[in-house]
Amino acid sequence: MSELKNQEENNLQNTNYWKSFEELYRDQKTITASHHEFQEGVTDDFDPDKNLTGISRRRFLALLGASAAFAGAGCSEYPDKGAIIPYNKKPEEVVLGKANYYASTCTGCSSACGILIKTREGRPIKVDGNPDHPVSQGKICSQGQASILNLYDPSRLKDPMVYKDGFWNKEPWGKIDQDILAILKSAQGKEISIITRNVTSPTFKKLLSEFSGKFGNTKVYSYEIFNNLSKESAWQKCYPGTSIPAINWEGAKVIVSFEGDFLGVEGNKIEQSRMFAANRDVNNPSGFNRLYVAESNMSLTGTNADHRIRIPLAGQSELLLAVVNELALDQTVGSKLNATLKNLASGYSLSNIAQKYKLNISVLKAMITDLVKNQGKSVVFGGRLLTESEHIVINGINDALGNNSLFIEPHVQQINPATLQELKELTDRMKQGSIHAAIVVDCNPVYEFPSDLKVMDALKKVDYVISLSEFSNETTSVSKIVLPISHTFESWGDHQTRHGHYSLQQPVIAPLYGTRQKEAIILNFLNEKPSAYTGEDYHKYLMENWRTNVYPLSNSIFGFEKYWLGVLHDGVLTLRIKSNASYSLSDSAFTGIQLRKESSGYALVLAESPHIKDGRFAHNGWLQELPHPVTKVTWDNYAAVSYDTAVKLGVKTNDLVKISGGGDSLEVPVLVQPGLADNHVIIELGYGRTNSHIVADGAGFNANIFLKSSGSTPFTLSEISVSKAGGKYSIVSTQDHHTYDEDLIKDIHEKRGIIREGTLSQFVADPDFLHHGKTHAHVNMYEDHEYDHVKWGMAIDLNKCIGCGDCTVACNVENNIPVVGKDQVERGRDMLWLRIDRYYSGPPEEPKVSFQPMLCQHCDQAPCENVCPVVATTHSPDGLNQMVYNRCVGTRYCSNNCPYKVRRFNYYNFRDHFAEGHYLADSLELLHNPEVTVRSRGVMEKCTFCIQRISDARAEAIEKGVALTGEEVKTACQEACVTNAIKFGSVNNTNSELYKYRNHKLGYHVLEELNTRPNVTYVAKLKNTFSEEA
Amino acid sequence: MKIDYSIEAPAIEGRLSLSQIEELIAKPLDSKPDKKFLLALSISGSALALGALCVLLTFYYGIGLWGNNQPVGWGFDIVNFVFWVGIGHAGTLISAILFLLRQKWRTGIARFAEAMTIFAVMTAGLFPALHTGRPWLDGYLLPYPNQHNLWVNFTSPLLWDVFAVSTYFTVSLVFWYVGLIPDFASLRDRTTSKIKKVIYSIFSLGWRHSHRNWQHYEKAYMLLAGFATPLVLSVHTIVSFDFAVSIMPGWHATIFPPYFVAGAIFSGFAMVVTVLIFVRKIFDLEHIITVNHLEKMNKVILATGMMVGYAYAMEFFIAWYSGNPIEQFVFINRAFGPYYWAYWIMVSCNVIFPQLFWIRKFRRNIPLMFVISIFVNIGMWFERFVITVTSLHRDFLPSSWGYYTPTLYDIGILIGSFGLFFTLVILFTKALPVVSISEIKAVADGAQPSHHGEGGH
Repeated sequence: MSELKNQEENNLQNTNYWKSFEELYRDQKTITASHHEFQEGVTDDFDPDKNLTGISRRRFLALLGASAAFAGAGCSEYPDKGAIIPYNKKPEEVVLGKANYYASTCTGCSSACGILIKTREGRPIKVDGNPDHPVSQGKICSQGQASILNLYDPSRLKDPMVYKDGFWNKEPWGKIDQDILAILKSAQGKEISIITRNVTSPTFKKLLSEFSGKFGNTKVYSYEIFNNLSKESAWQKCYPGTSIPAINWEGAKVIVSFEGDFLGVEGNKIEQSRMFAANRDVNNPSGFNRLYVAESNMSLTGTNADHRIRIPLAGQSELLLAVVNELALDQTVGSKLNATLKNLASGYSLSNIAQKYKLNISVLKAMITDLVKNQGKSVVFGGRLLTESEHIVINGINDALGNNSLFIEPHVQQINPATLQELKELTDRMKQGSIHAAIVVDCNPVYEFPSDLKVMDALKKVDYVISLSEFSNETTSVSKIVLPISHTFESWGDHQTRHGHYSLQQPVIAPLYGTRQKEAIILNFLNEKPSAYTGEDYHKYLMENWRTNVYPLSNSIFGFEKYWLGVLHDGVLTLRIKSNASYSLSDSAFTGIQLRKESSGYALVLAESPHIKDGRFAHNGWLQELPHPVTKVTWDNYAAVSYDTAVKLGVKTNDLVKISGGGDSLEVPVLVQPGLADNHVIIELGYGRTNSHIVADGAGFNANIFLKSSGSTPFTLSEISVSKAGGKYSIVSTQDHHTYDEDLIKDIHEKRGIIREGTLSQFVADPDFLHHGKTHAHVNMYEDHEYDHVKWGMAIDLNKCIGCGDCTVACNVENNIPVVGKDQVERGRDMLWLRIDRYYSGPPEEPKVSFQPMLCQHCDQAPCENVCPVVATTHSPDGLNQMVYNRCVGTRYCSNNCPYKVRRFNYYNFRDHFAEGHYLADSLELLHNPEVTVRSRGVMEKCTFCIQRISDARAEAIEKGVALTGEEVKTACQEACVTNAIKFGSVNNTNSELYKYRNHKLGYHVLEELNTRPNVTYVAKLKNTFSEEA
Repeated sequence: MKIDYSIEAPAIEGRLSLSQIEELIAKPLDSKPDKKFLLALSISGSALALGALCVLLTFYYGIGLWGNNQPVGWGFDIVNFVFWVGIGHAGTLISAILFLLRQKWRTGIARFAEAMTIFAVMTAGLFPALHTGRPWLDGYLLPYPNQHNLWVNFTSPLLWDVFAVSTYFTVSLVFWYVGLIPDFASLRDRTTSKIKKVIYSIFSLGWRHSHRNWQHYEKAYMLLAGFATPLVLSVHTIVSFDFAVSIMPGWHATIFPPYFVAGAIFSGFAMVVTVLIFVRKIFDLEHIITVNHLEKMNKVILATGMMVGYAYAMEFFIAWYSGNPIEQFVFINRAFGPYYWAYWIMVSCNVIFPQLFWIRKFRRNIPLMFVISIFVNIGMWFERFVITVTSLHRDFLPSSWGYYTPTLYDIGILIGSFGLFFTLVILFTKALPVVSISEIKAVADGAQPSHHGEGGH
């Protein structure tokens, strides 16, 4: 027993496991072999002289692997295929495939609207309005939306540059900061001028004043071409010590605008358009407002007028006084009118004015009747072309009519704009050499200052010109130091333009290049050690300012940190502080009223471009290519003249004319524009840029040379001479511009029922008036397709559409639509999926203008679908007309057969073709909406009803396990439409707003008789013309 | 002039013997190319090279190089396509329909006309392939089984085109080749060159001139003629569907199929006349391709020209009669709008000038018929231009109206298409008998014994 146990123990100690008998009996050969991992011969060297079978398996595999690797490496390029790499460390807030939205503020103009920036995987791809913003209320204009293109623009300045010995040299920030600090410190009492645009940021204002405190003799000049100087000074005379308030346009039943383009380029377009259109609701006919516009230009506001009064600029004073005189006849108004004003106006009668300027007296009488009847519920508005005196008269009229009740919170001007006199003094001092340094902060004085100030020459006499700019421009080219600044979306900031309303601006992407935000650059000079700069400096400064100045006003129950994050999240802060501004008219305002001088020659009007503004958006391809809302011209400015004036000058559209005035002259092509006052030449500014940007340079003509520092307003020149210059220049537009002077095609849009309009009184009397004479329903050869669930449709209320084109830009951004360039627009190859058609009817002197947004109609019986040989365009079960890019071979048959001509064809790879592939740059790839295919050359495309948004909503509905109702989806155009003219949803959802509009008595389809059964319903426009019984 | 219409005019003139006929027709094949031939070839070759260059550039940059735009999606590309398909109508009509109608005069011109048909259809066939935005994906136009289960759209007239044109091309080619078999055999028998002998032997498929051969041949030829006849009518009918099936005013017209077929025969005959005038002169074939033949062709031109003229008038009448204002506008715009010049070129070339053929003297006047045939070619090209471009450039919505201007590339490709066509024609004259030897022999004097004595007189 014990022996057995011992043996077992022994066995355990000398455990000898064996696998074979050879092993067990310790066969020598086996033991040797077991010391080698591989069998003999398996690891032999390769000798090709021997029999090939001599290659070992291992060797063979090694050779095979090596040759495959060599073949792979040798025969293929291995460029970066842009593989999708998952996050190594995933940022907390990012969910792949889901967009994040950040509230911020747009800095495109002085309105400082609230925006929501949509980012995908950390890159901003779209800008929408911030719905929480009390003023802009979720809408943003074309410029704000298109500004995202500037963020990724490959031409942005990327490094600080110093001009030395005829060359531009890159320099690191640290050194350049030191140098500039030394320059600033060496001023020795000489002036340091800071030139900037309108400042809307209270923190930047504080920063500038601290800067002035540190560097002694510093002056800040805030200037923009399109200022409101005459209006401001008139306001100060009438209501001293107050600032111009915003107007509650929604409360106005009657609006009379004198040269005021409040739907286009003047004031806060977003707010004004929204409030104006709010009273154009077909479901509330009694709430309709009525718009009278008296103007010389054909502005967007004028095209929307119920009654337009075409009057030369020189007649505005007389007209205004005649209005005063007529109003004075009414007891209630007359008693409230200022006596001086009444006396002044006593010699002017409406009938004389009507006779003199060939105006329709009944319209003028109606206007007076309306104003008298709607006291306290009307707005009389004057535009920037009016003189100070004319604005004073307008203030007097509004005051007498009791329209002050429509004033809402006053505007806040952070830094008062420099007057023309101040600018003149500045340039004079420059020329005397008494300016040490001029710091140009994100503006362009060489291009923008009145031309008689010769600021270019003046700047050359300044010791140091330092430009802070995003792009090179006319001013950077005469600067000594150019500092690249960050885009708005890379910068911190705050804004306050209205009493009680603040908004914050936050960066949504780290600076793409070596740029700093302009405020941070200036802040850095306050530090003694500029090298200590961090990207967070201004962020902290901003927070500090809020902690001390804004936070206490808010009476927040939260601590500052929490409060700050809350405001940052919302983007806006509304303080419940009532402004106690009261407006009592100062009688002394009316003593110095001067009337406009009579002028018999040609008058020049310099207008703001509705898209590229004063030129600050000239480098934005989307905006350059966005058709002008009225003329539909792209990529150029021109001298617009009336038909009769063109005949008188012996010119036609595209002929060059020479315009001389104020010592300057310019050759510019003519565009014959219906509806203009005779003998007026209207040129838009912002064009003719030089030394700036591949997109901006060469587009249009620089008419800024006519801007003068003297005169009643800088925007008008009278007694100019205009003559035919000989030669031609091709102005390109997206729409034919001879469609109003040939009998065959005159008013054809009305004859064909494309545009169907009526008047409000007609509608009230007979709601079915639009559909009289409709004889029979259109029959179908085949059985109708059943759409049981969601079926998408759109309705466009033409009563609300003002024709601005913001929807077009939204569509461009959302759907990755390329810029094609002037040459391609000329060829008729613009790529706009959504265009605004503009039609004139009636005589060319007094045309009626109609707008119609035109996009794919998603016809139930789409003519495009059956002709495609490869089934690349099909119909979806939810009623969409779909385009399958991958399948499309590009026969263009679908486009030919589309009666709405809404399909767009990629004749080139336009990103490659335009401006030598400017928009093909790598940085621009970040801009693309990842949910939308970037179409290749040779492919047809068109509006998809934003199918990517529909898919998103559907996925979400499936996730939640609910059915789609159609209310979940907003198309990009709908989201952007300031006036909410576009409704979208399911036509089967009887509770939806779309359903209401689609089945409205004013609803119609374009080209109904073709029986294509479109799914875009247009709600016919009603003009609210004056009628006695109303 | 008094003509005895009871006597059929001889199909060939000059009482050539059978061996003379063979000698005459085969002569160009046996002789070395002369300077004139090389000059002609270099001109057409240069035109072809120019076209090829333009096509290559188009491949590289995209069809943005052309003038096509919104709203005119089709320009020269489709105009050229329809034009060349039209040209390709005369050959099969002459060889098939006139064969079935036992028109003996066709023998002198049938072979050449057929060759022209094949070359014209080849030229035409390039355009649908070139005109697409992504020509490298043209294969999608063919119904082939694939794992995506993607099929072509059988309701699209463009697809019908693919079938119609390829069928027409195949049948024409077979028909032409079958007609060539006895000639290949004759050439094989007479050639002394070894290489030629091999080639001719292969293509003559062992033809032995036996009765059996002839019996089969005649039957096959007649069957093929019967097969080709409906195709002559169907091809251009289907091409016209490209337009007629759409909803565009100016395109959407039921008159299009007969109108297009008549126009195609019209233009095809004109092109055959244009070319034959040269061929009969250069190759001394005046006896075989006689003025009588040309006169008969001119009669066809006159007749079809008037059909086309009728169609023009009828389009206007129907536009007015339909009461459809958009349709009416399109036609008024055609004649008086921005493209009025194209319309009036078309009308004068196609309707007015051919009226001269009412007069016998003019029908038989070679310089005059040459000029008129050129006019007809121009006019018919413009007809397609007018239909394609003027209908598109001002359609339903005035907002999207535009104007189409061709670019240099468009013109280069048009010239190139003529280059391709004429290069093929010129090479053909040196490579194959331009007139059917066997058929000519069959209609020569004495080949058809009759009760009236020799030669049918």
